[in-house]
Amino acid sequence: MENNYQLSRIHNYIHGLMSREEMFQLEKEALEDPFLQDAIDGYRLQNGVDAKQLSLLQQRLNRRVENTIATRHAQYYTWQRLAIGAAAGVLFVVLLALLYFKHFNGKIERTTDVTLSEPENMVTIEPMLDGGDATPLDGWKAFEHYLNNQVKDAVKGGDIIVNFTIGKDGLPAQIQAEGTPGQALVDETVRLLQSGAKWQGSKGRLKITFPLKEKKNPSQSNVIKPPHCFGIEKS
Amino acid sequence: MNEKELLQHYKTTGDLSALGKLYSPYMSLLYGVCFKYLQDPDRSQDAVMQIFEELIQKLRHYEVDNFKSWLHVYSKNYCLMQLRKDKRTTQVDIEDNLFESEQKLNSSEEAKWEERDFERLEGCMEILNQEQKECVRLFYLEQKCYKDIADLTGYDLNKVKSAIQNGKRNLKICMERKENGK
Repeated sequence: MENNYQLSRIHNYIHGLMSREEMFQLEKEALEDPFLQDAIDGYRLQNGVDAKQLSLLQQRLNRRVENTIATRHAQYYTWQRLAIGAAAGVLFVVLLALLYFKHFNGKIERTTDVTLSEPENMVTIEPMLDGGDATPLDGWKAFEHYLNNQVKDAVKGGDIIVNFTIGKDGLPAQIQAEGTPGQALVDETVRLLQSGAKWQGSKGRLKITFPLKEKKNPSQSNVIKPPHCFGIEKS
Repeated sequence: MNEKELLQHYKTTGDLSALGKLYSPYMSLLYGVCFKYLQDPDRSQDAVMQIFEELIQKLRHYEVDNFKSWLHVYSKNYCLMQLRKDKRTTQVDIEDNLFESEQKLNSSEEAKWEERDFERLEGCMEILNQEQKECVRLFYLEQKCYKDIADLTGYDLNKVKSAIQNGKRNLKICMERKENGK
């Protein structure tokens, strides 16, 4: 420490342990530094530096600093508690407010929870009741669901109107398409009808609309029910 | 943290350990200063601690630029107050104190010297009395220590010291007067 260095220089100076050059150097410094000069004068009066005395003094300072820090901590303790209490109070109020708002807003949100699906991405069926009395045993909704799940990607999309009869086993038979739809469309319709649900009634006439291929999104095509489908049954 | 940062830190936070760090390096010098005036080991130690107590308040309110010289002046004043309080008469060399109070104003002054400054200095040397002239020359030009000067001149060591201090002060005053006179 510079402090100790200076102190030992003072000690050496007073006890004549310095060379002439060192003495001159210290004297010159002291001329520019009255603090140092005063200290030298003091130690000379005391006839030397007492290191023990100084270390006791250092200890006194350390104790003084530590004590104050300790009492300050003790004082701040209650203050800190107050601060923590106040902070907790504020947090509590904020929490209550948040809960209130959440509850309040929740009511509104519930009414807006509507799933929209685009009908053009769905396979839809339109029973043409003028041409038949057949209805699927499981209901139109389930049938449409089945179609959407089973339709193959190979189908490009388009409309087809089919006439069929219901066989003894309850499955559509003699399936015939009206007009000239694409062969892929006819094949897919036949496949879907024959491997699907059983029917009741004797004759069926259906219009099936397949979505355009490009737009088809599997995840959307699986969404259950286009609201416009038909109001025949309710779940 | 350096001294300035410690000082600023203490001023804003009142953190006593910062003040302790600031004060501790000066304690041994301070003890010497206090002893010079109080001339008693116990009183000097108490004074060092008491000055610290006073700094706890003062340094939170005062803007201190040069801590070292501020501390020196503050301590000296503290000791002189103590002496005045108990009405104990102690001889304090007034010359010494004059010299010191001027010193702190000019401590950083080591300006460039020009030719005419040296001429001025030569002129000013002439106004010093014999003792001062002799001692200042030996000290500043021949770089001899006080003891050698005392041996060479036969003056007392303390006389050498005050001759140099006062000679230096007189030179400074003379130089400034000449400079301003122009």
